[in-house]
Amino acid sequence: MGQNILTTSLGKLIGWGRGNSVWPAQFGLACCAIEMIATATAGVDIARFGSEAFRASPRQSDLMIVSGRVSQKMAPILRTIYDQMPEPKWVISMGACASTGGVFNNYALLQGVDKIVPVDVYIPGCPPRPEDLLNALMILQERIKAQGITPRQ
Amino acid sequence: MTDTDTAEIGMGVTVTKTGETGAFGGELLTINFGPHHPSTHGVLRLIVDLDGEQVKRLKPVIGYLHTGIEKQMEALRWQQGVTVTDRHDYLSPPINNLAYALAVEKLMGVDVPPRANALRVIMSELTRLSSHLVWMGTSGLELGAMSMLMYCFRERDTILDMNEEISGYRMHTSYIRPGGVMADATPRFLDLLEKFIVAMPGHVDEYEDLLTMNPIWRSRTIGIGRLSAEDAKVLGASGPMLRGSGVAWDLRKQMPYSGYEGYEFEVATSDMCDCYGRYLVRIKEMRESVKILRQALDRLPDGPVNVDDRKMLPPPREELETSMEAVIHHFKLFTEGYSVPPGDVYVAVESGRGENGCYVVSDGTHKPRRVKFRAASFVNLQPLERMAMNHMVADMVAIIGTADTVLGDVDR
Amino acid sequence: MISENLIVDRGVSAGDNWITIAAESAHEALSSLKEEGYRLLVFLTCVDHLADSSREWPSRYELVYQLRNMDSLEQLRVRAFVDGDPPHVDSVSDLFPPGNWDERETYDMFGIVFENHPDLTRILMPDDWVGHPLRRDYPVGGEVVEFSEEHETWQTAPDKA
Repeated sequence: MGQNILTTSLGKLIGWGRGNSVWPAQFGLACCAIEMIATATAGVDIARFGSEAFRASPRQSDLMIVSGRVSQKMAPILRTIYDQMPEPKWVISMGACASTGGVFNNYALLQGVDKIVPVDVYIPGCPPRPEDLLNALMILQERIKAQGITPRQ
Repeated sequence: MTDTDTAEIGMGVTVTKTGETGAFGGELLTINFGPHHPSTHGVLRLIVDLDGEQVKRLKPVIGYLHTGIEKQMEALRWQQGVTVTDRHDYLSPPINNLAYALAVEKLMGVDVPPRANALRVIMSELTRLSSHLVWMGTSGLELGAMSMLMYCFRERDTILDMNEEISGYRMHTSYIRPGGVMADATPRFLDLLEKFIVAMPGHVDEYEDLLTMNPIWRSRTIGIGRLSAEDAKVLGASGPMLRGSGVAWDLRKQMPYSGYEGYEFEVATSDMCDCYGRYLVRIKEMRESVKILRQALDRLPDGPVNVDDRKMLPPPREELETSMEAVIHHFKLFTEGYSVPPGDVYVAVESGRGENGCYVVSDGTHKPRRVKFRAASFVNLQPLERMAMNHMVADMVAIIGTADTVLGDVDR
Repeated sequence: MISENLIVDRGVSAGDNWITIAAESAHEALSSLKEEGYRLLVFLTCVDHLADSSREWPSRYELVYQLRNMDSLEQLRVRAFVDGDPPHVDSVSDLFPPGNWDERETYDMFGIVFENHPDLTRILMPDDWVGHPLRRDYPVGGEVVEFSEEHETWQTAPDKA
């Protein structure tokens, strides 16, 4: 689809809509999942950014927050869940373990979730503070808003 | 069996017809529950055979969070291993540190100073509180009391703020180390603790107002997931699972460590033997923890917080500028680490979810030969089939919830 | 009472009592210890003594059963040395129910085969995993860390890393 006045304006509108209603998949793995829950509670309140609707089904979600270490046994399941999510979809790799394997450099863990799914935003920390997750979400929102009608092309 | 006999019904649940006939004349269905189902507290997978909605067979499949922690410990030096112990039972990091630190100290024949012991007790009890708060928040959420999550995480955040004040880290503090603790408590920490101790009993009352007589909570938990005292003992259950079945077994009383024999507290038990009993035990334990905190803070002794052993802990910063010997000790500790005499030892401590043990084998080098964590959740998960038998599939959520398993602890 | 002829050796390690039994008599010895009051198996695990020169070991693998008497608060560690490829020992999961998963874990991590175990399958690793990770000759794995010593050798000779 070519770029013209109509599609760029529509793209802005769609990007604004998508960016402010990112629904994460409820997909907790390890320690970071607890901080992810803390992000959803009253103190930090992810609802301010339109992302409080953690969906239990990947079919209803736009964002996968990989919150914690991914073991070799879990990796195929994580990929299945990612494949089940409808386009457009984004991934936040939360914490050192999900991003690089963290302190565990061994046989059992996937050394970085970006080996099996494309990652949009990485968060350092073990586990990151809830504010870090909010910051990552805001970076992602900016990116979604800039992507227009057809992300990932 | 044809492909049409298996269907995915969403939320990580797949259904398969088994071809067997159940008691009500219908066919037994096998459902695959997890490993990313939101109510399994992580990545537990259950294969359940259902007759109608009743659970007839249940097989937990674990290992989806296997981190290789025990292997990793063998590759790390004794003092580096502390950071990894934090992360197996990720809801009670300081208690994991404590089990490991006590084991290493016992092998080395080291006794920590009284102030270090008191700080260890304070951190253990704060952790127990925060672990129970996370349990209550998430279990409440699963059984329909959404506001519990908000209330419980509010208090948990104040505990994490204290962790941050004393160690610089919110969750994985690595505060308790072989030979003592990381640093002395700051005045602000003691201030925050004082405020917390004053406020917490009122908050526990608040939770009780919301849940204890709540008809929905009671009907979801009373009579669900019964585990008799005899069964609980035979199956090796520990912590609130065992005490919720009426057995007054608490390692802090039975085999005291870190000076717990000097504190006055009651062992919380309940004879109800069901999910509600375990809830009552945890509520009581939170009140007792606050009592222990009060005593520990009032009687906090003065003095050093680390053993005075240059072979085990680095010398203070100011000595490095004047003493050559201190520089050598510092260099040796941070390049090679200390070595522990050959032998093996098992130390068990009471964590929020039961007996959290650490079995350490040393071969006399600067790295452990073997570190085995006796995980409470690993053992507490095994009675799940017995507890869930003949219950509705929805009650399984309550049973998994009140067993309070942390999958990081199960899989290590 | 456990008969004295089942005990090969006994001692105290850092305050913990232990006895050594012959691996062939593991089931018999543990069942008589259970009669004696040690009714709880706290944990069961294995230690791999490959290339440990600090002490003399009768064989490579040491099975460790930690028992507890919940009435008298006594604890006892029972050791049994096994060898072979794979090593075999009788299962005690019929005596101590928590032993069931512990034995599966020990099988998974060390490859020790427990005879008469109801369901001896891998528990933590995927079913198709090759090798037993906690054996000392199994590499820690993971990835080579950049700028470390291993990384330099890896850069020059990737096959030998």
